[in-house]
Amino acid sequence: MSTGAERAVPPWLERLRRRGRSAWRRTRARVRALARAWRRSLRVRVSVTTVAVGLIALLTLGAALSGQVRDALYDTRGEEILTDAAVRAEQVQSAFDSSNAARLQDVQQLVWDVLNSVRSTGGPSVLLLRLPGQGTQFPEYVSDYDQRALIRDALREAVREQDTQMWQPVAIGTADGVEPGIAAGSLVTLPIAGEHELYFVYSLAEEQATLDLLQRVLLVGAFALVLLLLVMTWYLTKQVLNPVQQAARTAGRLADGLLDERMDVHGVDELAVLARSFNEMAQSMQDQIERLAHLSTMQQQFVSDVSHELRTPLTTIRMASEVLNSARGDFGPTEARSAELLATQLDRFESLLADLLEISRFDAGAATLDVEEADLRVVVERVIDIVEPLAEQRGSHIVSTLPDRRVRVDMDSRRVERVLRNLLVNAVEHGEGEPIEVLMAADARAVSVLVRDHGIGMTATEAERVFDRFWRADPARRRTLGGTGLGLAISLEDARLHGGTLEAWGSPGEGASFRLTLPLRAGLEIQQHPLELRPPREHVEPEVHRDPAGPHALPDDFMAEISE
Amino acid sequence: MSPRVLVVDDDAALSEMIGIVLQSESLEPVFCYEGTGALEAFRSSQPDLVLLDLMLPGIDGIEVCGQIRAESGVPIIMLTAKSDTTDVVSGLEAGADDYIAKPFKPKELVARIRARLRRHDGPDTERLLIGDLVIDVAGHRVTRGEEVINLTPLEFDLMVALARKPWQVFSREVLLEQVWGYRHQADTRLVNVHVQRLRAKVEQDPESPEVVVTVRGVGYRAGAPPAR
Repeated sequence: MSTGAERAVPPWLERLRRRGRSAWRRTRARVRALARAWRRSLRVRVSVTTVAVGLIALLTLGAALSGQVRDALYDTRGEEILTDAAVRAEQVQSAFDSSNAARLQDVQQLVWDVLNSVRSTGGPSVLLLRLPGQGTQFPEYVSDYDQRALIRDALREAVREQDTQMWQPVAIGTADGVEPGIAAGSLVTLPIAGEHELYFVYSLAEEQATLDLLQRVLLVGAFALVLLLLVMTWYLTKQVLNPVQQAARTAGRLADGLLDERMDVHGVDELAVLARSFNEMAQSMQDQIERLAHLSTMQQQFVSDVSHELRTPLTTIRMASEVLNSARGDFGPTEARSAELLATQLDRFESLLADLLEISRFDAGAATLDVEEADLRVVVERVIDIVEPLAEQRGSHIVSTLPDRRVRVDMDSRRVERVLRNLLVNAVEHGEGEPIEVLMAADARAVSVLVRDHGIGMTATEAERVFDRFWRADPARRRTLGGTGLGLAISLEDARLHGGTLEAWGSPGEGASFRLTLPLRAGLEIQQHPLELRPPREHVEPEVHRDPAGPHALPDDFMAEISE
Repeated sequence: MSPRVLVVDDDAALSEMIGIVLQSESLEPVFCYEGTGALEAFRSSQPDLVLLDLMLPGIDGIEVCGQIRAESGVPIIMLTAKSDTTDVVSGLEAGADDYIAKPFKPKELVARIRARLRRHDGPDTERLLIGDLVIDVAGHRVTRGEEVINLTPLEFDLMVALARKPWQVFSREVLLEQVWGYRHQADTRLVNVHVQRLRAKVEQDPESPEVVVTVRGVGYRAGAPPAR
């Protein structure tokens, strides 16, 4: 047999352990559930407290009451018993005294008769005991043998010494258990046989029964009261808490945007006042929100209308300008240059108008996604191809690190391409001719594209504001690539529309990085980004070599050409 | 004879400008300034192509588009100030072949018009099979058995493009280039809407297409002819 088998735990023990463990787990779970109910529910807390306090009060009251009653009962009955015992002892003594028995047998007969008559007439148990050291010539009398042990030596000594009536409480054993009793003793003198101890044992069973009954009644009463208390508390807290719960529910629904939600108002009490004030608050909130929403819609509609209205005349101007521009060979130099400026600035005006319209569409919530599954690498490569010539002109080299495998993403390729183009052009503009890295990585839920430049960079405050509309890090800096100032704002909206994120990081002199993260499947929530936004510390180069001549200026219409 | 283009636009200045550009490209413009008279102008002028503004006084462009399409397969290009999805899609669904968003450049406009006026110049006797259909390229006819199916020129071009290379899967971008003549990236919704319209005409069951088959994530290809 192998040692492994010997060491193996027997199956029954294993079962037992498992059962023990699961029982322990169940208990713990139950305790935890109770603790949770205690923490979560005001009602449970109030009810439990009320019942606990009520229970303690009732138990104390009951204990005090039954104690009092017991004492009173015993005092009264005790006095009666002692009087009775004294009377009986005297009767016995006088019966003995009046006897003329001359022989010991007669005395024995006398004792038998007298004591038997006591017992047989419904009296207490009787014991006639010899004084110690008297010898055994005269037999003792014991009406109930099992009570012989009740008479303790201490009592007997006291009886012998005091020569008056002495007594002691005793516990009388019966078939049903133990009942309380009193043993009273005194000395009697028998003819011929001399002094003996006479004891009467009285049972207090009746009194005990009365007391038991009383305690039972008290206990039942207490439980009934506690139950009533519980029901009352439960009901009362329900009365008070129901409106509170309703208020909480209603507030939650209001917060979810269901502005028509109101509380029910019943009666005129304090809770009705609560409900009414709550409803007034909700009403005024709703009015405000609707007013603001209306204003905002009107404003957005206005922007959208203006943009649209501008388009028709702009088209005419545009066509006229193109006709003039294409005929500029026939003009003098002044007119030719004017025609050229007109044409290029119209391009700029047009992209500005397009961006404005796009922003107004986002603001109005009218932007919709045209989602299709596609490989994001293809989009990234296409954008790099588009921006590459511009980057080369600026002396920047674009280095891309893309995954080897396809990255299928549910996306609106047009929007995603626009975002990436904005990020790359932005990187070229601020990249100071340093290399630009494009990284892409995906996990099971999301994909990140990181565009990193090593140019002038920006501060953390600037990185926060970089997505603001028309915002410029340095107002004195001119826009060399003719961007509209809305590109990043639109990109952010595009990312959000996909359920994705767009974040920026920068450090002056170290460059900046922008990270676009998109969920792979529409509706998936992004839990973590496959790429880090900040570069790892050791990769940061403190001094970047810069071209003292500064970035080359680019022709103004470059932007228009690549955005086409 | 130069091709005739009907320009339906309420903006007189823009119409005039379009006219100048068209004339410089030796196209003959005809003008109509409101929606209500558009159909009449169409009937009287018999144009080779219609440029149609979406926002018109009287009846709007989408309705005009439907009216013209009801009696002719002539190419229709919408001029739209709104490039919002719903407007563009409803215009395309009403039968427009293509659209140009304002503001556009003259070259762009001319390129769009030329693309729609262009005729395919394959061999005259060419007959193509796609699904259970036969395309007679020279006779500009599509038949299923004895039944002739009426298609607009654009829909016909789309079918021919797919049927000429039945082994190839066409991406939407490629179709835009071949059928619509776009050289740059353009709105792929054009393809989606027209494939839907085409399917409604040629498929036995548009829910499970057998003539124009979708290749998920890539594009479309021609359905295989039934095995003989």
